Amino acid sequence: MDFWREIFMALGRNKLRTFLTGFAISWGIFILIVLLAAGNGLMNGVSEEFSDQSKNTYMIYRGETSKPYKGHGTNRSIWFNDKDIRFLETEVKEVDQVSPRIYQSGFANFGDKSGSIFVQGVRPVFKDINNTKMLKGRFISELDEKSSEKFIVIDDNLRKKLFDDEVSPLGQFVIVSGIAYKVIGICESEGRSDGGNGYVPFSTLKKITRKNWYWMLHFTVKGLETKEENEAFSEYLRTQLAHLHEFDPDDTSAVYIRSTQEEYLQTMKIFRTFELFIWIIGFAMLISGIVGVSNIMRITVKERTNEIGIRKALGAKSRSILASIVTESLIITTIFGYIGMWLGMVAAEVGGNVLSKVQEGKEISLNIIPSIDIRIVLMATALLIVCGVLAGFFPARNAVKIKPIEAMNYR
Amino acid sequence: MIRLEKINKTYFGAQPLHVLKGIDLQVNEGEMVSIMGASGSGKSTMLNILGILDNYDSGNYYLNGKLVKDLSENEAADVRNRTIGFIFQSFNLIPFKTAMENVALPLYYQNVNRKKRNQIAMEYLERFGLKEWADHYPNELSGGQKQRVSMARALVTQPKVILADEPTGALDSKTSAEVMQILREVNQSGITMIIVTHERGIALRTNKIIHLKDGIIENIETNNPDCIDFDKEIK
Repeated sequence: MDFWREIFMALGRNKLRTFLTGFAISWGIFILIVLLAAGNGLMNGVSEEFSDQSKNTYMIYRGETSKPYKGHGTNRSIWFNDKDIRFLETEVKEVDQVSPRIYQSGFANFGDKSGSIFVQGVRPVFKDINNTKMLKGRFISELDEKSSEKFIVIDDNLRKKLFDDEVSPLGQFVIVSGIAYKVIGICESEGRSDGGNGYVPFSTLKKITRKNWYWMLHFTVKGLETKEENEAFSEYLRTQLAHLHEFDPDDTSAVYIRSTQEEYLQTMKIFRTFELFIWIIGFAMLISGIVGVSNIMRITVKERTNEIGIRKALGAKSRSILASIVTESLIITTIFGYIGMWLGMVAAEVGGNVLSKVQEGKEISLNIIPSIDIRIVLMATALLIVCGVLAGFFPARNAVKIKPIEAMNYR
Repeated sequence: MIRLEKINKTYFGAQPLHVLKGIDLQVNEGEMVSIMGASGSGKSTMLNILGILDNYDSGNYYLNGKLVKDLSENEAADVRNRTIGFIFQSFNLIPFKTAMENVALPLYYQNVNRKKRNQIAMEYLERFGLKEWADHYPNELSGGQKQRVSMARALVTQPKVILADEPTGALDSKTSAEVMQILREVNQSGITMIIVTHERGIALRTNKIIHLKDGIIENIETNNPDCIDFDKEIK
């Protein structure tokens, strides 16, 4: 194909021009990707830091009625039961995951050692809701819950009481109120008290204690983004529970509804601000990339005005000149754009590896690992290429419109 | 070969400029004509119109018996490519193409295949004594060689008319004389030649000197170059 031969000849013979144009494009895309990756990394770091506050969690505690209602007297304890769980899980669309809690307090024994324990029957989701940090082993799984395994996760306080440091607690059996539980994990102790805590599958403890009343329902919600929405939701919960348990909907002491909405909303606000910040940076980078690419394309075409004039005088049609210039810029921008994209991703990857090496084993406040969203990268690259070609097209069209004599004398 | 009838051309800028004011001119096939005039006399504009590089406002321009008027850009490009050869003061060779590729370029726009056009280009280069320079780039050539390359390029399509805009403007007098000698030979092969110049010595090597002043033809001087002793006349 003669057309292509002409184009590659022109590209090959003008190595410096080709290189400069290509470099501008590669550089623009490279910087864009590296910054986007860094921004994303920062964002991820922040998300991780705030992950315990990034879920909107509701807790409903049992209470006692303070108003007579439908023939019931006051001071009646309201306990939750399976009906409440089913109601939350199936009828309230905002509810994400529910973990009811039952408890049992007593003593735990291992060999000749013992310690007081507060055992809670929880579901696997409790770990996320409560942001429980595992030190060893694992938390209760869905399977444990389903088959009511006699497994226990103990906190560090209890571990210290029951086990010598050289003994590995995992796989050992501890006796709690006459039942032997196999230790499957150690978690961080919560709060200030030195009392021991233990977590067993909800279904297990339910069977053992034969309780169908729970002191607390714990669940996460989705889609409640404002204070008003959260207040309305609490109100709705109270009326529904009042209906199920026959207490006065205005009785605020019958059940206590607490939520982490304030922290959650605060965190979301920080997130939004951060996201916006990163988008602004990305956008600014994209703009400067476009400006850079456009400028070099414009200069390239200006430089060719002379050549365009000569070709026209020799009988070239405007369209054929335009076609070859646009094809040339398309080839340059695509090839170098691809190179820039590739280098940017490699740089982000390498940067990420280096950072995680550096941070390994250190107590760090913010875990910033660059990461890239490939779709955004592709979109940005495509946009830069299109802009580069357009930036070449318009001056080329103008150059083609100039009378050949003027174009030839252009300096 | 070329007939101009009452050609008018005005440039509409901030202040309209009436550049050509009713030019009538007849150039016969095989003639060698020069156009002289001070800058601003309209000679460049006239050359642009003759070369279909610019259009005119009123009048008629017949080239090779055909009216050249209101041509589309593509038609104009075609006529230029097939009937007119250009030679410029600054040579206007494409710097990143070899001598041969430069000469072959007009044939590219006639869709002649590469092998064929390079072969034709080589023939013309050989004719101008540039065979050994075929693979050199313009910046490796002397001024005279560059102008010979551009003459080869002008002739490669076997045009009817050669338009030369100050063809010796960038050359020393010895090279100028050589170039004019070649142009004469080309003319003698039957190609009509129009040369724009402001050098009397160049004009004197043509058969007809057209004096242009303020957009009108002042007078036409007939001239016989064979009776002139150039060693005495020029510089």
